[in-house]
Parts: sequence; C-alpha cells; structure tokens
Amino acid sequence: MSWDYLFVQAANGAVIGVIYAMIAVGVTLIFSILKIVNFAHGDLYMLGGYCAYYIIEYLGVPPLGAMVMSMAALFVGAIVLERLMLTPLYSDATERKDEYGLIVTFGLAYFLRNSAVIAFGPFPLKPPSFIPGVQRFGNLVLTNDRLVAAGLGLLLIAALLYFMKWTIWGQALDAVSQSRDSAAIVGINARRFNSFAFGIGAALAAAAGALVAPIFSLAPDMGVLPNIHAYVIVILGGMGSVTGSIIAGILLGESESLFTAFFPDPTRAFAYTNAFGVLVLMIVLIFRPQGLFGRRHLRME
Amino acid sequence: MRGLHVYVLAVVAALALLGAGHFNAYWLHVSIIAMYYGILAGSWSLLAGYVGLFSLSHTAFASIGGYTSALLVKWLGIPVLLGMGAGVAVCCALGGGIGWVCLRMSGPYLAIFTLGFSEIVRIVISSEDDVTAGMAGLHTAPLFRSATRVPYFYAAFALLAVSLLLMGLLVRSRWGLFLRAIREDEQAAGASGVAVARFRILAFAIASGFAGLAGGFYAHYIGIMTPGVGDLDEMAKLVVMTVIGGMERLPTAVGGAFLVEVLLELLRGYGQWRLPLFGVLLLLTMRFARNGLLTPPWLGLVWLGEARARPLAPARDLSEKDSAA
Repeated sequence: MSWDYLFVQAANGAVIGVIYAMIAVGVTLIFSILKIVNFAHGDLYMLGGYCAYYIIEYLGVPPLGAMVMSMAALFVGAIVLERLMLTPLYSDATERKDEYGLIVTFGLAYFLRNSAVIAFGPFPLKPPSFIPGVQRFGNLVLTNDRLVAAGLGLLLIAALLYFMKWTIWGQALDAVSQSRDSAAIVGINARRFNSFAFGIGAALAAAAGALVAPIFSLAPDMGVLPNIHAYVIVILGGMGSVTGSIIAGILLGESESLFTAFFPDPTRAFAYTNAFGVLVLMIVLIFRPQGLFGRRHLRME
Repeated sequence: MRGLHVYVLAVVAALALLGAGHFNAYWLHVSIIAMYYGILAGSWSLLAGYVGLFSLSHTAFASIGGYTSALLVKWLGIPVLLGMGAGVAVCCALGGGIGWVCLRMSGPYLAIFTLGFSEIVRIVISSEDDVTAGMAGLHTAPLFRSATRVPYFYAAFALLAVSLLLMGLLVRSRWGLFLRAIREDEQAAGASGVAVARFRILAFAIASGFAGLAGGFYAHYIGIMTPGVGDLDEMAKLVVMTVIGGMERLPTAVGGAFLVEVLLELLRGYGQWRLPLFGVLLLLTMRFARNGLLTPPWLGLVWLGEARARPLAPARDLSEKDSAA
C-alpha cells in the first residue's frame, strides 16, 4: 500500500466528513428546537440530491444554482411537512411525544424512500460536475467536485454559525431552544420557529445531497447510512457544538476511509466500512446512553 | 355474554381452520405470510406497545433465527424443529444481551441503537457470503415434505395461536402489569418495587425469541433466506402494520399485520405505489388515530361482551337496561 493511496483516502475522508457534518448540524438544530430525533433526515438529504439533479436536467440551471434552488425547495417542503405532521408535538394533549416524533419521522422516512424508488427509479443517477476536471497536488489527485463539496459545505456551515450568532432570527432560535415559554413571553412565536428550524435543517441536508451527487451517484437509499453517521457525529461532536460537529465529521470520514484502506479483505472492505461507523455509534451509545443530546438545552456555537 | 371477543376470535379461527382446505394456493400463501407477520407484530407490540421499548431490530432477530436454524440444519443435519428451537434460543440470548446493553437508553436512543444493530446484522449476513450465501440467498430444508401448503398453514396457525396465548397470558399476569408500569414511568415503577432492569431484559429476550420463532418458520417455509428478511424496509413494514392496527394491544397489532398483508395483496395492481401508500396511511394513523385503526372496533367488541355482564355498573349500563325494558 503506497503513501499516495493513503493520502487520497485521507483527502476523500475529509470531504465526506464535511458532508456528514452538514447533515449532523441539521439533526442537532432540529433536536434543539423541536426536541425530536429526526429519523427522516437522511431521506431529506436524498431528496435534496434528486431535486438538484432534476433542476439541472430539466431547467438547465448550472449546478450551483440548482443546489440553491434545491435548498429552497426542501426548505419550503420541510416546513409543509412539519406543519402537517409534527404540530401535535407542541400540544400538551399529546402523550409520549418521544414516541410520536419517532414513529412519525420513521414513517416519513419509509414514505420518502419508497416514493423515491417510484419517482426517480431504482437506478443510480449522476448529475454533471460543478467544475469538471481534477487538481493535482504532487502525487495527490483530487477531483474538483470533491474540493467544491468540502469548500461549499464549510461555507454553508459557517453561514449558519454566523446566522445563529449575529442575526436576530438566529438569536430567537437560540431563545426557543433554551425555553419555549420564556421565548413566548418576550414575543417570539415559538411555533413559527419550529417550522423555521425544521426548514433550515432540511435545506442544509439538501445542500449536502446536491454536493455529494456528482461525487457518488444518487440512489433512493443513499440517505440511510449518512443518517446513522449523523448521529455518531452529534454524539462525538459534543452535543450541539457546530465546530465539534465539523471535527467529529472529519474524524469519522477519515477513520472510515483509513479503515477501508487497511481492511485486510478488500472485497469486503466497503461493506464493513459502513458497519464500522455503525459500530462506533453503538459503542458510544453504550457509554453515553443519553449521549446524543445529553443536555436539555443545546447551544449552537 | 362475558368475554364475547374471545368467542368471536374462536369462531373466526375455527372458520379459518375449516376453510383452509378450500383456499387456493395463492391465498394460502398470503395467509401463511400474514401469520408470520402476525407473530412478529404481536411480539413487537409486546416490546414497543407494552414496555415502550421502541426497538428497530425486531426483523433482524427474525433473520437471525431463520439463518441460525437453516445453517444448523444444513451443517449438523439436525431435524428442522430442533433447528428452529435453536434459533429461538439464540434469539432469546442475543435479545437479552441487547436488552441488557441498552438498559440505560430510552426512546430515540434505544431506537438508534437497535437500528445500528440491525444494520450490522444485515451487513455481516450479506458480506460473509461463504457462510450465509449472501445476497444470492441460502437454500433451506423444508419443514414438511408436502406438495401443498396446507400443512404449513396449520403449522403457522398453531405457532401464531401458541405465541399469542403465551404473550396474552404474560401481559395479563402480574408481570404484564410490571411491564406496563415501566412504559408509563420507569422511575415510578422502580420506586414501587418493580425490578425494572430485570423486566426490560426479560421483555427483550421474550420478544426476540418470538421473532426468532417466526423467522425460523419463515426460513423453512419459503425455502430461501436472504439478508432482506431483516433489513430496514422489513422493519418499517412491521412498524406500519403494528401502528396501523394499534400497537398497544396484542389482538389489534396482529389484526394490523393481517389487514396490511391482505391489502398489500389486494392492491397488487398498483405495484410499487402500495408501499408509499402505506407510509401515508401510517402517518395519517399517527396524526389522527394514534391508538390504531383497529383499536376502536376491538374495544367496542370487548365492551359489547362485558356490558350485560355487570348490570350494577354505573350509568351507561343502567340506562341501557331501562331502554331495553
């Protein structure tokens, strides 16, 4: 095994890590406001990828524009879904809200995945590249798509951070995550911000899907594993800390890539790479059973 | 008539048993598969509905039971029934182990953990293809040397009946009360003297054992095991069935499995559209009828049976007596 191969794997791991982090940040945001773990987040990511693909195919929009449009579409779509399905979470009449959120998002994931098989077909699709071509750094060769994905991903996460910290809407979101009632007292409409948070989380997932599409292909079940990885990152990344999520995301992407590189049996390496991330999740949960979001209030910082 | 619902179930069961010979092969197959899902749905409702442990590894246990039995029969040449027994034992042990490991997890965390477990089971089964034949599918020994499906129908019926009877006895016993107490409030249950840890592990072991039983039967009925038996889509289907029927009672959960399986066959003309359709049905059920679609009729039936048995019970019964007189 050559050093070049290891470097390529490491670079790929970093790119994938940023994508994972984007999904994880969405999961955290939704949890901190709505207090549910969104099991359908991976499917929103899948939907975002397909959405961008069809916008490129049928409207002839360049990939970057398509990504933005796909984010907007998922933002609106997610708000509609949240209004339709998740409003019982905010009413006191609902018993066992955990269970409700769980079954509804799980059912939503089932619905979206199976609808995607019909609407988009079971075969992998690949949209055109953001910028075709490759970059060489010595012996290290990286496609432009991977660089774009990592760069734009980091940029979007930074934008979210700025938004959360320095804008009034971001502060209002933070207030709702701290205390719904107190936020209501100072005049924040908590219900509106529930929808808003769900929409933002979905838009980030959509961007991740659109960025990943030219690198890997789009498939209806592409969201299942990234969804699990997002949970790993949220646990490892220190409960709602966005910088932590980026670091944990890159760490997970790296360790997976290197796991693939070092796995003794190359024919099975890829399958077990996925198992590796899942195993990390299970082990972390054993030692941190309330792990995912141990604190009631999550500060996005 | 006290216990009317029991008689109704008995009559339906008797009709099904007598009519089995007249079913054509296709509907026999559908009803056998429905009973397979019935056992799974019943045992999952024991776990998720009664104890509140929302495990997503139930079909993974069915697949473990099926593969264990199939492989043991293949390697050691033991009788199929013994293999199924071994599958149940393995699932009980593994289920208890999972129950023990996730004692401190609740709600979504438990769901994520068990989702991870079932993904690992699926990945291992599809990757270790020199043992399990992977995606190609493992051929299994048949349970009966019979040209028709009728013996399988009776076997599935017997398994379902025995499983339901055992689970029904469990949930009606003192232990069943403990299990429901754990669902309502784990700490309060513990404070009242329920050995929460022991009963959570027990519930996991028992439910997984029944899943293994269903899986073992399925393996030796269908004749081929694939990793798909335990994958996430199967689990989602099971959740759809149980929640649509009503996950908090055994009969409604099993009824949900029958309802969905039969509807899936009747709507076969719609092809792939059926699956998202049931996704929508699940969402609607959760949104507007959280107790499940079959729960109100079932409770009505139970109430009908008990209404006349207690003439001295309060207002509603008295007024009914008056109007009857």
